Amino acid sequence: MLLQLRNVFKWVQQGGQRIFLLKDINLEVAEGEFISIMGPSGSGKSTLLNVIGMLDTFDEGEYDFLSESVHTLKEKYRSNLYKEYIGFVFQSYHLLDDLTVEENLEMPLLYKKIKGSERKALVADMLDRFNIVGKKDLFPTQLSGGQQQLVGVARALIGKPKLILADEPTGNLNSQQSEEIMQLFKKLNEEEGVTIIQVTHSEKNAEYGSRIINLLDGRKI
Amino acid sequence: MFKNYIKIAWRNLIKDKLNTGLNVIGLSVAFAVAILLGMAAMYQLSYDGFHENGDSIYKIVKTQQTPKGPQAGTVHPAPFATKLKTEVPGVKRITRYLQDGTLAILGDKEMDMNIIWVDKDFFSMFSLPIINGDQNEPLGDVSSIVLTEKAAVSLFGTTAIVGESFNLLVEGKEKPFTISAVAKDNVPESNLEFQMAAQFEGHHEYLNNKDNWDANYHDVYVELEDGVTASSFKKSSQSYIDSHYEKAISELKRDGASADVNGRYMNLDMIPLTDVHFLSLKNGFVEVSRSLPYLILGVAFLILFIACVNYVNMSIAKSAKRLKEIGMRKTLGAQKKQLFFQFWSESLFVFLVSICIGVVLSFAFVNEFKTTFNTNINVDMLLKPTFLLVLLGVVILITIFVGGYPALLMSRLGTIQSLKGKLESTGSNRVRDVLMVFQFGIAILLITGTLVLWGQIDYMRNIDLGYDKEQVISFPLNGKRNSNDVVDLLRDELKGNPNIISISGADNNLGLGRDGSRSTSKIGFEFEGRAVTTNFLVVDHEFVQTLGIDLVRGRNFESASDSLGVVINEAMAKELGVEDPLLAQLELDDGKYYPVLGVVKDYNFNDLDRAIEPITFFMTREWGVTYAYAKVGPKNMAASFDILESTWKKLEPNAEFLGSFLDENVDRTFNREKTTAKMISSGSILAIILSCMGLFAMSLLIVSQRTKEIGIRKVVGASVGSITYILTKDFLKLVFVAFIIASPIAWWVMREWLQNYTYRIDLSIWFFIGAGAIAVIIAMLTIGSRTIRAARANPVKSLRTE
Repeated sequence: MLLQLRNVFKWVQQGGQRIFLLKDINLEVAEGEFISIMGPSGSGKSTLLNVIGMLDTFDEGEYDFLSESVHTLKEKYRSNLYKEYIGFVFQSYHLLDDLTVEENLEMPLLYKKIKGSERKALVADMLDRFNIVGKKDLFPTQLSGGQQQLVGVARALIGKPKLILADEPTGNLNSQQSEEIMQLFKKLNEEEGVTIIQVTHSEKNAEYGSRIINLLDGRKI
Repeated sequence: MFKNYIKIAWRNLIKDKLNTGLNVIGLSVAFAVAILLGMAAMYQLSYDGFHENGDSIYKIVKTQQTPKGPQAGTVHPAPFATKLKTEVPGVKRITRYLQDGTLAILGDKEMDMNIIWVDKDFFSMFSLPIINGDQNEPLGDVSSIVLTEKAAVSLFGTTAIVGESFNLLVEGKEKPFTISAVAKDNVPESNLEFQMAAQFEGHHEYLNNKDNWDANYHDVYVELEDGVTASSFKKSSQSYIDSHYEKAISELKRDGASADVNGRYMNLDMIPLTDVHFLSLKNGFVEVSRSLPYLILGVAFLILFIACVNYVNMSIAKSAKRLKEIGMRKTLGAQKKQLFFQFWSESLFVFLVSICIGVVLSFAFVNEFKTTFNTNINVDMLLKPTFLLVLLGVVILITIFVGGYPALLMSRLGTIQSLKGKLESTGSNRVRDVLMVFQFGIAILLITGTLVLWGQIDYMRNIDLGYDKEQVISFPLNGKRNSNDVVDLLRDELKGNPNIISISGADNNLGLGRDGSRSTSKIGFEFEGRAVTTNFLVVDHEFVQTLGIDLVRGRNFESASDSLGVVINEAMAKELGVEDPLLAQLELDDGKYYPVLGVVKDYNFNDLDRAIEPITFFMTREWGVTYAYAKVGPKNMAASFDILESTWKKLEPNAEFLGSFLDENVDRTFNREKTTAKMISSGSILAIILSCMGLFAMSLLIVSQRTKEIGIRKVVGASVGSITYILTKDFLKLVFVAFIIASPIAWWVMREWLQNYTYRIDLSIWFFIGAGAIAVIIAMLTIGSRTIRAARANPVKSLRTE
């Protein structure tokens, strides 16, 4: 068991009323799964993903990640936990424009306090694996959307995470680029056993996953 | 990791060149100015701090309670010091101190020099090292004299002159002195300035005044024994005062003076040596005020503050652009601490560069600064440990707070919010607003100060002083001949010249001449059973018409035979309090009565910070005049000046001609005000430039942040004018609030300052409105260009950027 959410609620207070963003979510994810979260706008997909990624908090319920109870951890330990085990991929890539491809890949390793020589090796590995060695000194703005997302995925993977969280990873890409990224996810999942949870609008992309979770108004259906 | 911080800091700074440039320029200029001003203030504060025994040396001030209130004076009678040493316990060393100008004569060479007449202990009390000659007791006998290196070189051409002798002109006669030692030159931060020092007993007035307790004419410095405090000494001196000033005290009682809180009529005050430079005896009270150096430090601080506010504001505003980066770094596992250090190292980088440039700038401009602000600082001061320590402290504080605050704000942002690019901006905006209000408040305060200061100076320059200052030249009679004779000779020589209207002389100058010397002479006498004090001026008979002073009653001196009468001013007539002053007989010498010949209109012979005091003119050749006055025709005054100079040179070929027009002399008396005004106005110009740099950068950022809003507003039909209004409104509101806050403070400060002047301008509301208007207009011009450009931009373009 990789992670487990039990009776998770999240709400905001608006004019004396609680508006629920997540309502009684129960979810178990085993290692090696490939899950797609679907649902209309505002149904709480991204919120759920952020809660799983520990970027966001929740108001009620319990969350265990690798048998650590996340809801009782202090922020510092939480960030150590997700820095160690989780990689993020975003719709708008979120690469740092001021850094080259190589430096973007190196950044998570810096925060993990990995030594210089090892960092270099890991980055070189990753560049090689994604066939972007030639682009290592370019800045993100000099790349196409597909290539940027490729770097985004590489960055998420470089820390050897157990779980990858992807928030509409193909939302900004054309169909061919989408296809490539989804193929990559599938390969990672099947060959390396990386657990993947993605949020998506597209039925076609959801097909790649082994399980689909549908959300409506913060509730699992 | 650290290398990484630096790399990213560098890239970020380079990317936003305009912003970084504005920050670096603003901070460097502010640092440079703060360093220079700080040095100027430290220089002032370090006055007389170099004397090793300084902690136990005091200048003695005597305060007496007169019927008109307390009156403090630094001058004492000749027997005072010697008797004090023998009669009051606790005196280790004591010296009388009398400053004078005299003519030094060596063969054909004649030089005007400053001399101090002091007691033997002088050189052992004060740390004024002797480099040649007698170290222990350089002033061993009446004819020995000490010269400074510079004086020695200018008179003899060398400092190896111990044992040689030369003459001083004393009361018209040459008197020989033997050089016993050569002292090191005066340091600039010393109040005890001299070129020559000789024994007090050698002064020509000493023999007459040896046992006279009525003639107060020199300062006294005392060094107390270890363990004796100023207050205990003051107490033990009470019986001494009571016994030696018995007569004076009983006269004070008789005239209706009221005793002070301790029931005493006369007291000694001990002014610590380091306070002497800041001592003023305004309105009869002893006052030690270091407000000028603190004002300078204040201006330095304000300018640094403004530059720092700019930096904080720009960093906070800029952080909006970096939200994504912050969020992303956080999702990749960055902790608050790490983010803080990343942003802080960027600030550190900017500060270090700015400080280096600032130090270089201050070195480069130190000479200009010195001449503009009449200060004697030098770059060596920068290397003094105290100064370095203060500088380092300030830099560390600034780096911690100014760099730390924005870094802290940024590192504390929530991950999700920053990833979404949304900033809960209300909090930091309030900080920004408060800081900007502060900034503009300071600028408005300084602008008001500038306007009022210049207004007052202008007023003082143009006020009718009661005499003709435009057409009259005065010059010191510093030659060998008898001064009254020189005046007569000048008059004869220039008689035929139509451009020289009249010549006269007096024993005091008006304003501050090129010789830099000023004096006041007062005399007290009994009149109808009361003590009356008056200034006295020895004149020759054409003085009143040469100066163009109006005669209101009676007549002027007409010829040399009038020397038994006096001419007084209106204030003196009032002081006498008789119905017809022309009938009054003044007993100015014991048993000698002087009839009042005439009354002249009041004129300002003192500075304008004082009311016109009583003055009495004497016309006696016995005491001699020291300055000549010449009234010239209105045409071609420069030529008349040259004629005067050449005539003087003919009569006194060895003496320097130091003539100047009286309006220049009067101007010179405002030097302190002019220096302050210059400092404040440069400060305010700098403050407004720095504030506007901040405002400019801020408007750039705000405009870029609101591009989408501007686009939308235009699409729905807003005009260029209304958009410009929306964008400018917020800033102008801040300037307005700053105006509301700063004006009362400025009003209060300026009112306090103007209290120093008897003749002063009214604090009209226009000074404040003017300052506010200047601030608003400059602010509008600063924001205007960018906002109008943004408002005119094609909305399709601005919307596309989203």
